[in-house]
Amino acid sequence: MSVENTVAADTFTEPPLIKGNQTFASVTEIISSIVEKKPKKAWFVLFGLASSLVMILLGSIGFLVWEGIGVWGVNNPVGWGWAITNFVFWVGIGHAGTLISAVLYIFRQKWRTSINRFAEAMTIFAVICALIFPGVHVGRVWVAYYMFPIPNQMAIWPNFRSPLLWDIFAVGTYFSVSLMFWYTGLIPDLATLRDRAKTVLRKRVLGLFSLGWRGGNKQWKHYELAYLLLAGLSTPLVLSVHSVVSTDFATSIIPGWHSTIFPPYFVAGAIFSGFAMVMTLAIIARKIYNLEDIITLKHLERMNMVIMVTGMMVGYAYSMEFFIAWYSGNEYETFTFLNRAFGPYAWAYWIMISCNVLIPQLFWSKKIRTSIPLMFVISIFVNIGMWFERFVITVTSLANDFLPSSWDYFSPTFWDVSLLIGSFGLFFTLFLLFIRYLPMISITEIKGVLPQADPHYYENHA
Amino acid sequence: MNFDATTYRVSDVKPVMTKALGAGILGLLLTFAGYFLKSDQFFFSYLVAYLFWVSLALGALFLVLLFHLTGTTWGIVLRRILETVIMVLPYLAIFFIPILLGMHHLYHWSHADVMANDPILSRKAGYLNITFFTIRTLVYFAVWYYIAKKLYKTSLEMDNGATPEQVKTLKKVSAPGMILFALTTTFASFDWIMSLYPHWYSTIFGLYFFSGGLVGMLAFLTWFGLYLRKKGLLKDVITVEHYHDLAKMIFGFIIFWGYMGFSQYLLIWYANIPEETVFYLARWQGSWPVITMTIVFGHFVIPFVALLPRSAKRNLKFLSILSLFVLIMHWIDIFWLVMPVLHKSGIRFCILDLTSFFGIGGFFMWLFWKQFSKHPLTPVGDPRFKESLNYKNL
Repeated sequence: MSVENTVAADTFTEPPLIKGNQTFASVTEIISSIVEKKPKKAWFVLFGLASSLVMILLGSIGFLVWEGIGVWGVNNPVGWGWAITNFVFWVGIGHAGTLISAVLYIFRQKWRTSINRFAEAMTIFAVICALIFPGVHVGRVWVAYYMFPIPNQMAIWPNFRSPLLWDIFAVGTYFSVSLMFWYTGLIPDLATLRDRAKTVLRKRVLGLFSLGWRGGNKQWKHYELAYLLLAGLSTPLVLSVHSVVSTDFATSIIPGWHSTIFPPYFVAGAIFSGFAMVMTLAIIARKIYNLEDIITLKHLERMNMVIMVTGMMVGYAYSMEFFIAWYSGNEYETFTFLNRAFGPYAWAYWIMISCNVLIPQLFWSKKIRTSIPLMFVISIFVNIGMWFERFVITVTSLANDFLPSSWDYFSPTFWDVSLLIGSFGLFFTLFLLFIRYLPMISITEIKGVLPQADPHYYENHA
Repeated sequence: MNFDATTYRVSDVKPVMTKALGAGILGLLLTFAGYFLKSDQFFFSYLVAYLFWVSLALGALFLVLLFHLTGTTWGIVLRRILETVIMVLPYLAIFFIPILLGMHHLYHWSHADVMANDPILSRKAGYLNITFFTIRTLVYFAVWYYIAKKLYKTSLEMDNGATPEQVKTLKKVSAPGMILFALTTTFASFDWIMSLYPHWYSTIFGLYFFSGGLVGMLAFLTWFGLYLRKKGLLKDVITVEHYHDLAKMIFGFIIFWGYMGFSQYLLIWYANIPEETVFYLARWQGSWPVITMTIVFGHFVIPFVALLPRSAKRNLKFLSILSLFVLIMHWIDIFWLVMPVLHKSGIRFCILDLTSFFGIGGFFMWLFWKQFSKHPLTPVGDPRFKESLNYKNL
């Protein structure tokens, strides 16, 4: 090398990802101790709250099955109300987990290690929440299995050209691959917990689930390859699932639903909302369990950048839809979009625009990007905004369709609200159980990004 | 060509520049001669060639912006090539003049009587008119010029030792630069291609055009890097590790392009609305299905399968063939977007397609080499240059 930099290289070197001069042992201790100690009081309070909401969910589903979906606010033009809104919302939340665990892994973004585990867990729980809604929306829940193409003596098959059937395959594949990916990542950590276990039962259960992991060279080699392959398989799923969900709308000819940008637009929105949810949960978990050294401000800042970028992608899609609605010269398209912005649902539309496009712009400022209270508030705004996006898409296009005589206004009932709140309860209950029993941050991967993990570390730091 | 491995500069590039300029002059002369024989064909062939080269340059602009925003390490050694390409982009504004002169041949909407007598088109007159079209094109090039110059200049200054401020400047330009890039590229694709069918519209079209250009640029970068390697340039700088990553990027963005193309096709096919299906219908007339299917297989299936194995991504000989193949496919994609407007009944290749390609391409490469040979061929002063040089795929 003949050309050397005149400026000292360390002016540009990034600070370490993990703070507090951690050692391999201290990382194991910090993360494992969370699940080994008795949970904190805050956990019990939150778990009590969340599980009471699950009771509301179960009660609402029970009443819904008993009475029928007439208990919702759905009416004649608006046949899809909150249930589909909630479905799309929850499926979207899951996407950040897969993006962080698979896509960022493939792009060699090492900062993902601090957040991937619980983001993946979130994916699984969010998909569970999502699946409730189409499940109960079919009306006769007891024959919901007809959604699957099961051979039967009456030769009744689902319509293979229906995006609703594609949804079953897409979300089903997504759920199973995400679960497998998550579990594969957990194996070495489960073995760590097993080795630290004090009781026989704990040792046995963890031993069973860690599949006889010994941490040998060969095992690591296989493990790394399996992880890479699963990451490769999960990456197209990030795109396919929400693309298929978007076709539920876009294959129709309803103005405001039928738009060719829908697949990538929905994917960007999903990642956007998912990151906001990861942010909300990460800030709380990091505070309660004192994980400031592992989930550092740097991590949060980068997540904020992703939120800002994906928020702008969503903004791009909004503006393309609006522009093309005018450019198409199609009066129905033009009307739909003007109606969204200035019609009876203008309030919802402007909540969506402010929360998704305007508020994330605050992250241009480094001060806001690195302020924990502010980013917490903004992440909540994004969650709200993305729920409203799905509401605006679903309801406004249906409420004011081609025939003015059939127009109607959608108003939610008590049961619409209770199901939404209940689904949050289920999500948080599962999440709280997860952080109680499983390591919420990947111990092995954190060790991999410590400076000591570099094979040449001890040559320079002898 | 002589390469100085200590300063990373190249000298004695006259022969290649003469060749490029020769191809450019000869190509354009022949193309312009074609104007007197078949004026419609001339303008359409020219537009295809023009869009091909512009789309590549836009792909380069995107990559430079992306590299700065994400703090890419592996791509630093490749950046000077991209930076030089984006400095050629503003010159392409001059090559837009023939398109402006041929508006009436190319764009149906440029006829005032057509606009006035069509109830749908008359609504679009505020956007689709020659004055506003020209102004928009000027704005696109002004924006691209401004971003490109700022990035290129700062990068050159860093060659003599970088300061943290310069690294920050590059990021600060790139962030708003990316937003402007997204908007200008989208509207450029609407103006230059989508409005060839003034009735037709598709919200994803900007992304489709952008993704094609990006794939094209990645293929160009791979091919050009390997060309330099053959000439003994940057042999130890752009290593097999970098080509491996480039191949991964081609693979990834081939899928991205396919995703855009498929989303557009599936939704238009499914909804089956006449005002939208007209686009695909035109590409299914006569012999056009041959090109349509060539794109499906050549622009997606073949490179997808070919680039799956790791060994293929590290085989430089294979990559030099594949990157050329992808580039040709990208040209066919542009041809497919534009030509069915002129030749409705079936595929008609014309010698002008070739001459205009080499005409604009020759000038493109001439301008490129002129700029490229003035400075080190790789950003030697980048603070993470060494890291990028020693970069390894694990």
